[in-house]
Amino acid sequence: MRKIITHSIVVLFAVWFFQSGVKLPKESDADFHINAFATLPVKYDGRKKPLDTLARNFLTILSDKQTVRVDGKRVSAVQWMLDNIAGRPEALDYKVFRIENMDVLSSLGLEERKGFRYSYREIVPKIGNLESASRSAYGKAEKQRDLYDKQIIKTANKFYLYQNIMSSFEDPTFIPKEQLMSTAQRYMQLEGFSIPLAIPPHSGDPRWRPLMSSLLAGPMTKPDPVAVKFAAMLNAYRDGNVALFNSAVAEYEALVRAENPAALKKLSFEIFYNRLGAFMKAAELYLLVFIISCFGWLARKRGPIDAALALMVCAFIPHTFAIIARCFLSGYPPVTNLYSSAIFIGWAAVLAGIVLEAVYRKAEGMGNLVGGIAGFVTLLIAHFLAGDGDTMEQMRAVLDTRFWLATHVITVTLGYMATFVTGTLGVFYIVSGLFTKRLDEQTNENMYRMMYGTTCFALLLSFVGTVLGGLWADDSWGRFWGWDPKENGALLIVLWTAIMLHARTGKMVSNRGFAVMAVTGNIVTAWSWFGVNQLSVGLHSYGFTQSATFWLLVFVGTQLAIVGLGLLPSKVWRSGQ
Amino acid sequence: MKKIVDFFLSLKLTVTLLALSMVLVFAGTLAQVDKGIWTVVAQYFRCFIAWIDLPIFFPRSWDVPDIRIPFPGGFLIGWLMVINLLMVHWSNFKIQAKGGRRIAGIIVLLLGVLVTCGVMFGWGTAPVADTQSDAFWRVFLRLGRGTLAAVVLYLASLLLYRKRAGLVLVHAGILFLMVGEFMTALYAVEATMTIKEGETVNYVDHSQQIELAFTDGSNPDYDRVIVIPERRLKPGSVVSDPGLPFDVRVNRFMDNSSQPRPLAGIPAAMKANYPSYEGYGSRLFVDGVPENSGTGGGRNAPAVDIDLLDRTTGQSIGRYVLSLWFYPNFVNRAWDMPQTIVADGKPFTAYLRSRREYLTSPDGNAFSIKLLDFVHEKYEGTQTPKDFASQIILVNAGDHVERELRIWMNNPLRYARRTFYQSGFLPDDSGTVLQVVHNDSWMIPYLACMIVFVGMAAQFVQSLRRSQRRSS
Repeated sequence: MRKIITHSIVVLFAVWFFQSGVKLPKESDADFHINAFATLPVKYDGRKKPLDTLARNFLTILSDKQTVRVDGKRVSAVQWMLDNIAGRPEALDYKVFRIENMDVLSSLGLEERKGFRYSYREIVPKIGNLESASRSAYGKAEKQRDLYDKQIIKTANKFYLYQNIMSSFEDPTFIPKEQLMSTAQRYMQLEGFSIPLAIPPHSGDPRWRPLMSSLLAGPMTKPDPVAVKFAAMLNAYRDGNVALFNSAVAEYEALVRAENPAALKKLSFEIFYNRLGAFMKAAELYLLVFIISCFGWLARKRGPIDAALALMVCAFIPHTFAIIARCFLSGYPPVTNLYSSAIFIGWAAVLAGIVLEAVYRKAEGMGNLVGGIAGFVTLLIAHFLAGDGDTMEQMRAVLDTRFWLATHVITVTLGYMATFVTGTLGVFYIVSGLFTKRLDEQTNENMYRMMYGTTCFALLLSFVGTVLGGLWADDSWGRFWGWDPKENGALLIVLWTAIMLHARTGKMVSNRGFAVMAVTGNIVTAWSWFGVNQLSVGLHSYGFTQSATFWLLVFVGTQLAIVGLGLLPSKVWRSGQ
Repeated sequence: MKKIVDFFLSLKLTVTLLALSMVLVFAGTLAQVDKGIWTVVAQYFRCFIAWIDLPIFFPRSWDVPDIRIPFPGGFLIGWLMVINLLMVHWSNFKIQAKGGRRIAGIIVLLLGVLVTCGVMFGWGTAPVADTQSDAFWRVFLRLGRGTLAAVVLYLASLLLYRKRAGLVLVHAGILFLMVGEFMTALYAVEATMTIKEGETVNYVDHSQQIELAFTDGSNPDYDRVIVIPERRLKPGSVVSDPGLPFDVRVNRFMDNSSQPRPLAGIPAAMKANYPSYEGYGSRLFVDGVPENSGTGGGRNAPAVDIDLLDRTTGQSIGRYVLSLWFYPNFVNRAWDMPQTIVADGKPFTAYLRSRREYLTSPDGNAFSIKLLDFVHEKYEGTQTPKDFASQIILVNAGDHVERELRIWMNNPLRYARRTFYQSGFLPDDSGTVLQVVHNDSWMIPYLACMIVFVGMAAQFVQSLRRSQRRSS
């Protein structure tokens, strides 16, 4: 009975927790219908998406956030973008350009401030400095660039991105006749870059087109009628005319629906996905699961462990849903880039935790602990990896094969997960053995068995995954094994897990030695997952980031420290193993 | 002797070798920041003694002395692992079956070997294996064939080794994979094929080797080609061929040469010792430069400085410089610069070119590929490539093959023991570059993967059930 009550409370809490923020804010007829505007389609980076997603991605790139704070009030990404593209005067004062580097700031004549975010109006007076500095940085060979050059390039890229996107929503209707030619040329150039294509294919034009080019009337052509409707929305918004804006949005939507109903598909669902924000919310709950389970495990209390397990399942369901939603929206299998691999590893680790608790009676909450911390950490990593914009990007030609993405990539990622689960168990083994008396003989044996079992899975998955990767290479360019850095990284995991199993078979290590090796496995896996990308060579050189290198080193440092603790003499171990 | 045997029998050796290979693989990964992949493969993996550069372990901005550390190379570790594996199995994994079971086991084993060979050599597959649909079925079918072989081998192993069947199979699979990679290292050949739209090509370029080719175009019905292979192009050597009205003396061989520049724009100091050539060399400056190393990714462009000698007098009738830069396939057809030579009243054209191999099917019949169309698709509104595809006609008159086929990313054509992959394209999408690989052991990884998978899965299921029984 008590169990039913606690479980009901947990479920109700989780439902409340996940639904918050999903519902769209109410809009009366006296307000701008921004929700309806946010649902309109746009094609950017090769994928059709609602303007809401475009605004969120765009803002994330500029400021690492999905909302803007103005005088303590939160402004949504889409409203911020609408203010900008419609040309509202206050748009230039949004503090959205995040610049952290002191030298870059001083060359722009800006003061350091909390949050490091600056407005367009603040940057623009010294824009010449940015341009000349970035030109000289670009002029250098990639290896010659120092930190300042890299930061300048990063800042300049943000700025150019902003300018390009703003230009692509320009209204050239009132451009004087003598400037038409030069404007047309500028637009042609701009179309060579990746810019948002806001006008969907319709009877007048079979392609997605950017707004500004569609509006530009040539000597023989008239502006595109669909684009004219879009521009009418922006003009009404700029003039603050609520009624006109709302009717223009409705008319535009109706026009697109009549011309090309397929363009509006999946858009509301994507907005729901955006607003749900399942991954961050799940991460918070997983942390809670971990904390509750720590208490339960140390105190050997069944109650908190069961409650935490229920909570973990409750967080796992939206987590699963969001991964499926991503597949549905992008049309690709779950893992296509570093971001989605983090989400998937977290998902699989939580699943492993749940299975461990459900199948292995002596897990005593260990599954909760592993699932909770792994789910939390990986989703947090994913959150920081999302800064590059759209995480549902289209795949380049050679990677664009759903079959291999669904087999090789998934298996290898599951292999990473299994080694991380083993390693996490190893960390708990060492920490609990050294600092508590919880690791008695029975627990010691149970934990060893769990580590051994997951190591076997890790070997199986990473071996098959690695070989499948080789088969993909063979099928793509006829070289099964090319010693590519990422292949080598995966091979290291296979070799390390093989060493662990052979060392155990040969009785070279005890339970504790096995745990120490498992923790070392974390380093090997982290190297393969992230470290290899930092070398920026080879076919898998995506996702290079400076801060990733730093955090990778921090992670390796902590794992080495735990290995060191694991090697301390038994005297100092409180559990005396 | 016993000590040596014990040494090879110990699992400690296994663990040590695995650990050494980890260090080697790690070093070989780091080395790729500075060096090209093939240099690294030769220096670290395909050798008995690897020389590890010390600086690779540190940030490149640090001033680390450039010391090379000797380390067991890939071949050495590989061989020791093979010996270790075979010895451990020989002594610890005795055949446990007797009598009828043993005979049945051996029969099934032979059957398994037969199935494996059948899968490996593609018995029962189409001679022209192009891919019409997605990779899905094709690869699944191959893995399915692999699984069939693996299951038969597992049954044999089960009959012979009982409880240890899974472990034996796993290690057999690993051994098979290593043998396959060793064979690939020794025998696989990679070449390229450059075809312009509308053009028919019947040869491949072996880009790692070069040759000097003279074409006698005096007969209107056919060309006669006289080829001097790379090994004959030693400085100072004189090559004589009855097909040529002159002898060829090699003055200098350059492993890599600079892109030709107009001689007029070269500073006087640089061309002070520049020989006076006939032909392109009289207008262009071609000189030896250090070999390309790694990161630039550029290929070396050898060049050769030759004198053509009159047979009777032994006097030079002209000194020429020939560079791979003049060969159109090397520059993706950006230009074509054949060196024309008139000797004995006959016109000759000369190229220093990649070694050319004319395509033949296993029956000895020549075949060719015509490129109808090359497609390069991008995602709308981006520069991200979406698809590269070559629409071709494969013609082999001798074998009565004439097929229109499509080769595109991840979807190669397999024909005549070669595989044709979409690899690159010519400027303005005017043609295609195919990678042509000849590797008879390409099916081994498919087989080995499934053999190891079946073995491991069987072993884990077995130990899982044992531990369940123990706990209940």
